[in-house]
Amino acid sequence: MADEVAAKVIATLASVKRIPADKITLDTNLQELGIDSLDVFSLLFELENAFKISIPDDDVRSIRTVNDIVEGVKKLMAAAPPESSAGSTSPAA
Amino acid sequence: MPPRRVAITGIGIISCLGLNLEENWNALREGRSGIAPLQGVDFHKLTLRFQNGAQVRNFDATKHFEPGKEDYIDRFAQFSVVAARDALRDSGLSLTPELRERSAIVCGSAVGGQSAIEVGFEDLYVTDRGRVHPLTIPKTMSNAGASHISMDLKLSGPTYTVSTACSSANHAMGQAFRLVRDGDADLAVTGGSEAMFTIGMLKAWEAMRVISPDTCRPFSKDRRGMILGEGGAMMILEPLDAARARGARIYGEICGFGMSSDANHLTQPIVEGPARAMRDALRMAGLAPEQIGYINAHGTGTPGNDPVETRAIRAVFGTHADKLAISSTKSMHGHALGAAGAIEAVATILALRDGILPPTANFTVADPECDLDYIPNKARTQQVEAALSNSFAFGGLNAVLAFRSYHG
Repeated sequence: MADEVAAKVIATLASVKRIPADKITLDTNLQELGIDSLDVFSLLFELENAFKISIPDDDVRSIRTVNDIVEGVKKLMAAAPPESSAGSTSPAA
Repeated sequence: MPPRRVAITGIGIISCLGLNLEENWNALREGRSGIAPLQGVDFHKLTLRFQNGAQVRNFDATKHFEPGKEDYIDRFAQFSVVAARDALRDSGLSLTPELRERSAIVCGSAVGGQSAIEVGFEDLYVTDRGRVHPLTIPKTMSNAGASHISMDLKLSGPTYTVSTACSSANHAMGQAFRLVRDGDADLAVTGGSEAMFTIGMLKAWEAMRVISPDTCRPFSKDRRGMILGEGGAMMILEPLDAARARGARIYGEICGFGMSSDANHLTQPIVEGPARAMRDALRMAGLAPEQIGYINAHGTGTPGNDPVETRAIRAVFGTHADKLAISSTKSMHGHALGAAGAIEAVATILALRDGILPPTANFTVADPECDLDYIPNKARTQQVEAALSNSFAFGGLNAVLAFRSYHG
């Protein structure tokens, strides 16, 4: 599951920033990708769609790396498992 | 013609703090917040990360408009008209045909008749009625507030609406001030109004991630965002000499207006833009920084705004910044977007008139990044000579008004 989540987060991020997914790793710092606040809003919106989760505002402020997002998503999915995680679609994918 | 001094001689205000001037001023000086659980939102059907707002309560449109006519006017424009009527009545002016033609109306609104268009589109997309109400367009248009004031009060001079998001009302009042100052109008009705508590707007603001899940705590370390508000405030501006000549009660003077654009980012503020707007307002007013005693801050309570505004104030005022009394009254009336500047102008003018500086309510813990005097929680009795009122909008558009106290 960990790999699936990471791959999907990276794919979403790549789609939002219009960059190749292979340029992004778990250690990539969002600042290095030139992510600004508007990109963050869009990214969170797409992640919420992709994983069928709701990301609290307070969780957002501590995000620095791609891994922070992956860990956060996993935590939220564990707290409220989606109805059909395998079949969830990402409009950004 | 040399620039004329401009007096404020009438005020009308509707906000979550009350439906008239007295109720609003009582709440502001008592540090009483009107932020409360949202009404009219079905939380069983709608998930929302915040549940509080600064809604106007007990406003009965049928008391203010002919039977049935209230349906032709969106709530935001209803606020405009009722506040304008109250302001004109408060001013004691009697209008001659000549003065009606020389009267300007300049209103601010960020989103206009949002509920009208949302109901219309629900009919179209959700209930499949295949048509929308014929008055959807004239109810939705942002200038509806200004137009209804014009028709209602029979004022026929320059009339328009300014829409610059959260700075709308300050931009509007600044334009009206200049029309009267420069002799292009002999009377102005000006302010702002907003009514945006619709499901679509709430969800759109939620997605922006700037709304606090509890309350609005401007400049506090534990602030978590803004609280949406609604309402309307209008004031009457006239040349000071004319106001004196008719023996009008004068609340104070509006004396400076500064505008700037950050030219930087849609939602992230920077220090330079707001600082330039404050400097320009001071310059137009002919005021030295040391003459300012109070600033009604933009103070949204978001993590982003408050430290940047603090730094901008320090950049403009230097060492005098530590002597300034500053408050964000959004802690009490919420952020009414296009009406915010007008509601805050009323707070600023009454602070100058009465020598009572309204506090920043809900203040808890000091933030090292916000290191000025924010009048925490309790109003302060202090007579000040002049004040600024800041508004900084999404889109990086800044508008600052300067006011001076007037004591006969």
